[in-house]
Amino acid sequence: MVTRMWNQGTKLAVAALLGFVAVGVVGQTRKELRFNVGPGANVNVVNDFGPVTVRSGSSSQVLVVVTLPSDQVEIDPTQSGSRLDLRTHYLQPGASSKPVRYELTVPSDCAVSIHSSSGPIMIERIRGDITAEGDSANMDVHDVSNGHVHLRTLKGTINLSNVSDGHVEISSVSGPVNLINVSGPRVEVRTTNGKVSYRGNFASNGDYDITTHSGDIDVAMPTNASTDISLRSVTGKVENDFPFQPKQHTSLSLTNGRSFAGTSNQGGSSVELRSFSGTIRVKKQ
Amino acid sequence: MTCAEFQRVLPYIIDTGGNAEQEQHLRECAVCSDLVQDLRYIADQAKLLVPMEDPSPRVWEGLQKSLEREGLVKAAPARRPLLGAPAHGWQWAVAVAALVILAIASFLLHRPEAAPLSMATGSQSQPTATDQDDQQVLQAVATLPPDVRSTYEQGLKDVNAYISDARRSVDQDPNDPDAREFLMQAYEQKAMLYQMATHSGE
Repeated sequence: MVTRMWNQGTKLAVAALLGFVAVGVVGQTRKELRFNVGPGANVNVVNDFGPVTVRSGSSSQVLVVVTLPSDQVEIDPTQSGSRLDLRTHYLQPGASSKPVRYELTVPSDCAVSIHSSSGPIMIERIRGDITAEGDSANMDVHDVSNGHVHLRTLKGTINLSNVSDGHVEISSVSGPVNLINVSGPRVEVRTTNGKVSYRGNFASNGDYDITTHSGDIDVAMPTNASTDISLRSVTGKVENDFPFQPKQHTSLSLTNGRSFAGTSNQGGSSVELRSFSGTIRVKKQ
Repeated sequence: MTCAEFQRVLPYIIDTGGNAEQEQHLRECAVCSDLVQDLRYIADQAKLLVPMEDPSPRVWEGLQKSLEREGLVKAAPARRPLLGAPAHGWQWAVAVAALVILAIASFLLHRPEAAPLSMATGSQSQPTATDQDDQQVLQAVATLPPDVRSTYEQGLKDVNAYISDARRSVDQDPNDPDAREFLMQAYEQKAMLYQMATHSGE
C-alpha cells in the first residue's frame, strides 16, 4: 500500500515536473534560417540581450538558429548579396528583458560583427575580421587567424586564445582581459581598471602594446621568446623575474622598481607594457 | 597673459568669447589663434552632422497624407534607425562630443613642448564642457535597465579619474612622452564610452 502510494506520488511529482518544464518551453520558439553567401561574406548581429555564438562551417551558407523567448520578439534579417544583417526586434517594451539566443554557423572567411549589451559572445575558428562590442558582455574568442580582431567592452571579461597572424585591438574600461597564445603583427590592449594577463611567446616579430591606468599587467613567457621589452609604471611597481639582457641605452627613463628595458634572444618582437598606477609583472612561463 | 593661462580658460570661452585681455592675447599669439580656429572649424563641421530640431510628428503625418492623396507617394513602412546612425538629436550630440574630445586630446598630445600644457587640478572645481557631455551620456542611457545605467555611471567615474591623473602627470612633466600618451589614451577610453552609449541608447 505504502509502496503503491509512493509510486503514485512519484508519478505525480514527475508529471508536475514535466508540466513545469513544458510550460517553461511553450513560450519559446526555435527558428532556423539559411542564407546563401559568396566568398568574403559579412554578417552583422545586433542582439542586446542574450548569447551570440559564431562558429565556422559551410563555405557557402550562413546558418542561423535563433531561440526566441516569446512571440513578442522577432528577428529582422536583411540580406544584400553576401552581406547579412540580423537584428532582434522587440514588439513590446516589456519583452526586452528576456534573452534571445543566436547560434550562427558561417564560412570561415566570413567577417563577423556582433553587438550584444549583455552577451555572452563566443566566436571560434574564423579567419575573417571580427568585431564585437557589449557594455557588460563576456567575450570568448579563440582559434582565429589572419584577421583583424576588435573587441570593446565596459566591464565584460575578454578571453582571447590561440590567435595567430592577427591585428588585435582590445579596449575595456574595467573588465579583465586574458590573452593566451595571441600573436600577430600588432596586438594592442587598453584598459582603465581592467587587469590584463598575457601567456605566450610574443611571436611573429610583432608590436605588442599593453597600457592600463590602474589595472595590473601580468605576463608569463617561455624562455625562448624573442622580445625587445620595456616596462614602466608611473606610480606603481615593476617586477621582473625573467632573464632579460638589460638595456643600458634606451629612450625610456629607467627608475629602479618603476621601469625596466631589456631583450631576450634576438629581440624580434617589440613589447611595451605601461601602467599609470598598476603593477607590472613579467615571469618565466 | 601667457599661452598656458589662455589655454586653461579656453574651454569656457571658445563659444562665448573672452574678456579684453584674452581677446588681446588671441590677436597677438599665432599659436593660440591657430588653435582656436582649428577647434572652431571642428565644432562647426561637427554641427553639420546634427539634424535640425524635428517639427512635431503631426506635421510629418500631415505632409505624408497630403502627398499620398496627391498620389505622389505610397504609404511608407515603419523605419528603424541603423546601427551607428542615431535617429535622435541628443545621440548625434553625444557622437559629436566624442569627436571633439578626440580632437582636443590630439592637440594636447601633439602641442609644441615650448608651450607646456598647464591645466591645473584647480580647474577641477569649475564645471567643464565635458561635465555637460557626461550628463548627456547619462541621459542617453537613462531609459536602459538599471544595471546598464550603473555600468555607464561607474565607467565615467573611472575614465574621468584616468584623465585627471594623466593631466596631472603632463603638468608635472610636459616633456614626458609617456605622460602625453597616457592622456591621449584616457581620452580615447572616454570617447569609446561615449560611442558605446550612443549605440546602447538606440
